[in-house]
Amino acid sequence: MLNEFIKGIKYFKMTTADEKKISSVIRNLKKRYEDNSDPWGLDLGFIEKFYHIMFPLYRKYFQVKVHGKSNVGQKQYMVVSNHSGQIAVDGLLISMAFALEMRNPRMLRAMVERFVSAMPFIGDMMSRYGSVLGERKNCEWLLKRDESVLIFPEGIKGVAKDTKDFYKLKPFTKGFFRLALAHDVDILPVAVVGAEEFYPYVKHFRSLAKLMKLPIFPVTPLFPFLGPLGLLPMPSPVDIYIGKPYTIPKKLSHNAIDSLVDNHIKNIRTDIKSMLKEGLSKRRTSPLFDKLGIDVKRSL
Amino acid sequence: MVKKEEVKTILIIGIAGGLAQLTAKKLARKYPGARIVGVDTRGPGKNLNVKNLTFIQIRYTRSSFEALFRNNVFDLVYHLGRIPNTILLIEGLEKKRVKFNVIGTNLILDLCLKFMVKKVVVLSTSYVYGAISDNPVFICEDDPLRASLKYPDLHDVVEMDRISSNWMWKNRDSIKTIILRPCHIVGPNINNTINQYLKSDYVPVPMDFNPMFQFIDEDDMARVLTVGVEKLPTGVYNVAPDEYVSILQAKKIIGSSGFRIPFFLLGSVAGIVRKFGNFMPEYLVDYLKFACLIDNSSMKKYLGKDFFRHDTKKTLKRLSG
Repeated sequence: MLNEFIKGIKYFKMTTADEKKISSVIRNLKKRYEDNSDPWGLDLGFIEKFYHIMFPLYRKYFQVKVHGKSNVGQKQYMVVSNHSGQIAVDGLLISMAFALEMRNPRMLRAMVERFVSAMPFIGDMMSRYGSVLGERKNCEWLLKRDESVLIFPEGIKGVAKDTKDFYKLKPFTKGFFRLALAHDVDILPVAVVGAEEFYPYVKHFRSLAKLMKLPIFPVTPLFPFLGPLGLLPMPSPVDIYIGKPYTIPKKLSHNAIDSLVDNHIKNIRTDIKSMLKEGLSKRRTSPLFDKLGIDVKRSL
Repeated sequence: MVKKEEVKTILIIGIAGGLAQLTAKKLARKYPGARIVGVDTRGPGKNLNVKNLTFIQIRYTRSSFEALFRNNVFDLVYHLGRIPNTILLIEGLEKKRVKFNVIGTNLILDLCLKFMVKKVVVLSTSYVYGAISDNPVFICEDDPLRASLKYPDLHDVVEMDRISSNWMWKNRDSIKTIILRPCHIVGPNINNTINQYLKSDYVPVPMDFNPMFQFIDEDDMARVLTVGVEKLPTGVYNVAPDEYVSILQAKKIIGSSGFRIPFFLLGSVAGIVRKFGNFMPEYLVDYLKFACLIDNSSMKKYLGKDFFRHDTKKTLKRLSG
């Protein structure tokens, strides 16, 4: 038993190659962020330590695979992704992929909900990791500063899905596209497959959440019965699909009428939907799911 | 623009304050031929040694201000006399504070117009924006002033700013008015809330939040009030350097500790701390959770990128010990 535990710890230990990679990424990022920080609270010292813990989990626990790296150029993007997994680990994994797996590492600035920023410890940790309160002006400032942002246009509805709705995209908000138009930033569609299975069976109690003044209240076989431990995500393998950049139409104004904008949003949504479909058909499974009899081959 | 030789008499309201005295010194150097009149309800203090400055201790009442304007011809008026809410510690003065900050400001501005003052500078504060959960980084001058929605303590501060702004736009053809909303002013001569908080070891510090702050050196702020306002056209300006530091980092640089507690306890502990005379107003608690960083681009447009001389970290270091 003890031996197995030690083996487990060793399995998630950083390799020398990983350490070198993180050091090189941080060195690169230091060129960008003077004083190792920025006004939104990003803290490169924290990020370096965080990667030392998270990178082995990224590689071995979540077994993240990134497809379509060649679609990412050396420029600013608005990364737009489907949202899944109840506690937004998907955002963390996407931003790690862009920082640690690309030739030109970039910190993606994830736009987060207000309740996340106001959460004790978590809000502070998210800020230090580079997340920013999802407010239009913040996004504008970031884009002006040549930052790449990560947006989940499904919002909180995207992350909080019941099992029956896994991988079904919710309607997209329009704000992100207007911002991309205003700042002439190309949109990079991204699809994440695997994050929904962090909690294979979920039921949301919306009226209970409302009563408790919480944004969501998911109930899984382990949460809330095991307390915070029940929130630990299962080791579901994650595939991140990066699509071809969606070029922003030059002649369209950011104040254009909704019907002109809607078509573009529909196109981006379709791009993400088809990547999800492709991802689900090639879906990887984990030995744990096989043992538990969890079928991850779901259809859209 | 008011020409240098046209400035013969300057009025500074609130001259007993550290920033006002620094400003007076700079004005005396800038306008060597001008007479400076400094007024305050408080005594002049030990360090008020400024060439050409006449100190007058007055009560902030309608009659004393009217007499002041009738008996002098002011070219420049600096309204730096906002009574801070630290004065709340002295019982019974709360009403007077609100009355002066709101009604007094209105009176001073009307007198400036009536007695044909060439330029008025009003010192407001960036506290008017409030530390609200959905504050963007950065807050512009046009953004709503939301502090009074949440904190009754800041109601008079917001009202003073609003009165000044409305008055400024209404009379923009008759008188040049500049309203400054500085970030946290720090320096050895300043004794405001944030200076006290930063220097004290006996204040609660959140362990679960660490928002970014902007600090401006007292000398830089005095330069904005003297050299800067000459270049600024009528309007409202946020005043802040480009640098920022987190509250924990600021306390670390100064070398003060405080006691780390979870944020949900901060309000109650601040209440206890207040009872022991260490002033920590209720509104400050939220500033320790949500960032309230201001956009300085309007100011930089007129003053240039390199106007400030002091590095924030060095300024904070000066506070240590």
